[in-house]
Amino acid sequence: MNKKVFFLLLALLTAAVVIFLLPNDEKKIRRNLNLLADYCSSTSEDTAIAGLQKAAMAVKLCSDPCRVYIESFAITRDFNKKVLRDNLIMMKKMLPHTVFSFHDTVVELTETGRAVIVTTLSLSGKIADDRFTDAYELNIVATQTDGDWLFSAFTAVEFMEQ
Amino acid sequence: MEPAYQNGSFALCWRLQYLFSSPQRSDIVTVRFSGRSVMLLKRIVALPGDTVEFRLGHLYRNGMPVEEPYVRHRSPWNLTSRIVKPGHVYVVGDNRGTVMERHRFGQIPVERIVGGVLL
Repeated sequence: MNKKVFFLLLALLTAAVVIFLLPNDEKKIRRNLNLLADYCSSTSEDTAIAGLQKAAMAVKLCSDPCRVYIESFAITRDFNKKVLRDNLIMMKKMLPHTVFSFHDTVVELTETGRAVIVTTLSLSGKIADDRFTDAYELNIVATQTDGDWLFSAFTAVEFMEQ
Repeated sequence: MEPAYQNGSFALCWRLQYLFSSPQRSDIVTVRFSGRSVMLLKRIVALPGDTVEFRLGHLYRNGMPVEEPYVRHRSPWNLTSRIVKPGHVYVVGDNRGTVMERHRFGQIPVERIVGGVLL
């Protein structure tokens, strides 16, 4: 193999590695979604301050205001950062040992600076020594603000109609 | 879906079950959310065009009470009569011991059904 071919292959390999490792928009959104799940989760080791910090970090991943639609809970409104954080803290108190995780996530970049995410939120934890699991399908809108992808709307998909 | 399926137990989803047939009443089916990693296990109690109603926890289909030997615990659910839409089936879990508001049931589009259950 002559030198030219070797360097050409090396350049191609380097370009492929850089493209693979550089976080593109979809990777950034997925990373933020995983962070959101971590910050919303509560473990028995979490202190009260840690809970507050995690709620604040979760809110940093959301836009101000952030729109929430959960028809079955009659929630359809915009939440500013403070109200969102207070609600998260309240939720953490109600669900002190609960792990949040997202599954089957599809991210679609619809236009410049906007993405629609379809995902399943799974909750598993304990309430008063009883184990529980629950799941919700969510449509989430993410918008790019100053380079960061922030979640600007959460809609629960209610596909089961009583 | 207790008592037919215990919480924490494993059930195998048979995705080919509805390849050549359509879902029937009493079938236990897996219902998907956004994908197939997380699914619900439910029983079909009514098909398109059927009416469904609960009176004191007892299921009525097309105005007639339905024998449900698989239900052990019943809470006094009351739900007025409704018609299952075309392209939908009505699904309910077997564990009816909880209050109606905490139980997830209702009509779902048939496309949400991933398959039946083996064993």
